[in-house]
Amino acid sequence: MTALHVVYRVGDAEYVIPAAEVVQMETWSGATPVPGSAPWVLGVAQMRGALVPVVDLRARFGLPPADEALDHRVVVVRRHDGLVGLKVDRAREVLAVDEDAFEEPPALVQRAGADAGRVGGGWVRAVVRVGERVLMDVDFDRVVEGGGFDE
Amino acid sequence: MPGIDFSEFRSGFVAEAQDLLHAAHPQAVALDRALRAGRDDPRAIRELFRTLHTIKGLASMVDVEPIVVISHSLETVLRQADQGLGRLPVEAVDVLVAALRSIEQRVGAIERDEPVPKAPDDLLDAIAGLVLRESTRSKTEGRLDLDDETRARLTPSERELLATAPADGRRAVAVDFVPSADRSAQGIDINSVRERVGRIAEIVRVLPVARPTTPEVPGGLLFRLLILSDAADAAIAEAAHAEGVRTVSASAPRPSAPVLDEPDDEHEPHVGGLVRVEVEKLDAMMDTLSSLVVLRFRLEREVERMRRAGGEVRELEAILRDQRKQLRDLRSHIIRVRTVPVTDVLDRLPLLVRGAARAAGKRVRLEVDAGRAEVDKAVADRLLPAVVHLVRNAVDHAVESPEEREAQGKPSEGLVRITCFERSNHWLELEVSDDGRGIDPEAVARRAGEPVPTDDAELLELVTRPGLSTLQDATTTSGRGLGMDIVRRIAVKQLGGELRMRTTRGRGTTFTLSVPLSLAILDVFAFTCAEQTFVVPVSMVSEIIEVDPDGVVAAPGAGIGRRLVQRRGAAVPLVSLAELFELGGDEIPQKALVIQHEGRPWGFGVDRLLGQHEVVVRTLDHPLVRVEGVSGAADLGDGRPTLVLDLVSLGRSLVTEAQG
Repeated sequence: MTALHVVYRVGDAEYVIPAAEVVQMETWSGATPVPGSAPWVLGVAQMRGALVPVVDLRARFGLPPADEALDHRVVVVRRHDGLVGLKVDRAREVLAVDEDAFEEPPALVQRAGADAGRVGGGWVRAVVRVGERVLMDVDFDRVVEGGGFDE
Repeated sequence: MPGIDFSEFRSGFVAEAQDLLHAAHPQAVALDRALRAGRDDPRAIRELFRTLHTIKGLASMVDVEPIVVISHSLETVLRQADQGLGRLPVEAVDVLVAALRSIEQRVGAIERDEPVPKAPDDLLDAIAGLVLRESTRSKTEGRLDLDDETRARLTPSERELLATAPADGRRAVAVDFVPSADRSAQGIDINSVRERVGRIAEIVRVLPVARPTTPEVPGGLLFRLLILSDAADAAIAEAAHAEGVRTVSASAPRPSAPVLDEPDDEHEPHVGGLVRVEVEKLDAMMDTLSSLVVLRFRLEREVERMRRAGGEVRELEAILRDQRKQLRDLRSHIIRVRTVPVTDVLDRLPLLVRGAARAAGKRVRLEVDAGRAEVDKAVADRLLPAVVHLVRNAVDHAVESPEEREAQGKPSEGLVRITCFERSNHWLELEVSDDGRGIDPEAVARRAGEPVPTDDAELLELVTRPGLSTLQDATTTSGRGLGMDIVRRIAVKQLGGELRMRTTRGRGTTFTLSVPLSLAILDVFAFTCAEQTFVVPVSMVSEIIEVDPDGVVAAPGAGIGRRLVQRRGAAVPLVSLAELFELGGDEIPQKALVIQHEGRPWGFGVDRLLGQHEVVVRTLDHPLVRVEGVSGAADLGDGRPTLVLDLVSLGRSLVTEAQG
């Protein structure tokens, strides 16, 4: 069966996230930096009456920073531990994707990610082909974990 | 039933059911105590019967059959006990508690929109197996001196209770309270009388009795209280504002008087009543209040600008002052709405202690003395796990086995006490103490591989170390085992309070949690630091000083704590926040906020002060942004979150780093 997915872009690659997890998409208007948090955490921003931490996915994915552009969006997702904002280069498209079409990522991609040294450390959970495009589904539990110096 | 959508009733059902289940717990505890002492507790039985009856009704309204089945079978047994057809066996409470829990789980499933499991067969069998024992009431019937009408309106259990009073060393007494308009005007009514009498006696039943209207009975109504007491007649009569009392004992029956139909619901109607509110609605109110506060800032700024431009703003300023006062009032109303009585928060603990003591093979009694202390719901929610931890530790580790206790000359039943009182407008103190074996500093020091602590504060430091908490062994650590680091984290980091401890070997231990009454609204100082704005709670700052560069001394080296500034003849460490947060250079800051940490002053350097504000603080809950020294975020009027700094915590971590 198909489910709607939001397609977003970070750098040259495209990714998908189930629309059911996306609460809203905002234009980027800054965040209050939180001293002591990880370098790829931009800070907290006020969204929908809630304080949402915003993650810079470019930085997290190891890409150099880009100039601010109007296209930049913050995709706010609801996770088990609350709302998190993901700053991406572009997020304009919603696609209906067949769940069965998701495949295991190729071995090299499987291990990609900052924690690649660990067993099963890859960030990409699955990939799906839509026409010529290859869209990746990211495991955000791995991407988002390991933030500030909470003891 | 097909075609009817129950989903909108569900949240109401869940809320009602949870309340009822909550109220059932103390009744179960009371019943347990009575049954173990070989007595009945007709009041607890009746309350439990009513509770289950109501739950059954509610569950059938929203068509949740498993809950209907469980509550129905339990209700049947309780009804029989209530009607005096026998006494419940001692094991009944365990079955009762299991059934309550089973219903609770199913209510939880409904709340989470999950399928509700059907009623477990073994539970239903256990309920069906509760055979009522023959009660001995028939022998005692004749020994009560009651008029026929009163006698008829009591249940057999209640009559038995009154008749067997002398066996407990108490008397069964009847005292009449006559309400009147005069008395009402003085605040004397059946409720206040219940309270007063309840302090010196156990109330078995209160019966409304109709009388012809006379000057002595102006309302045509009096309340007959049937009580068990060992207090003097005069004291009882005084409590009930009555002329005298009657001892209920065997003698000839009295002439009867017309009987009122017994109301289904024993509760006298009260004015006012209660409203149940979901916490999200309260949060929404807080948010709106926050927006109002923000608007007021903007208005004030505009008015200030007009004033500087020479405009006539006196009237506007007067209006703003009124508005400020009203916002203050609104704020206290909202805060009060969010508060819950501490006794409510703690009311499940007796049941917890019962289970834990049983499992540990010990006898432990829990006393809770919280009076009327109230605390913000957000604080209560975080406090409860800490208190549960401390209580469990007390039962599991601190209290000795009954044999050990007797060998030491202590009562075989251990005592855990929780007391709670408001230390000031802003602070709540909650103490958890036990009369157990105390904490052995040498054993703890050995475990931690550290020198023996010289006082309780150092011992507490060791006991709350995360590493230590994974080593648990009741006999060698002679005291606390698991999770003390969590308790400290809750008290200090999550709530911004303090944890202290006193312990005496062989006598017991007391933990004190000091927490703020409310997290939500704070008075703060706003300031800038390297072009970024922060706020700090006013209550945290003991002084604000101008930094005279000539009075600053720097120790050699580049460490963050290298500078000292002169203040009243003492040298105060001066830490530049800009440097600490890696926001700026190493210039000497112009101003410093002085805080006290463990009795010593610390200065945190900032650039500019922006004034004092009242803000609504929200916690930064997400792990990505939970960092040392930041206790939350507030809105100063520009729509952006402004971080609230916990300078005391920063100071503490700087000291730890320096020592580590």
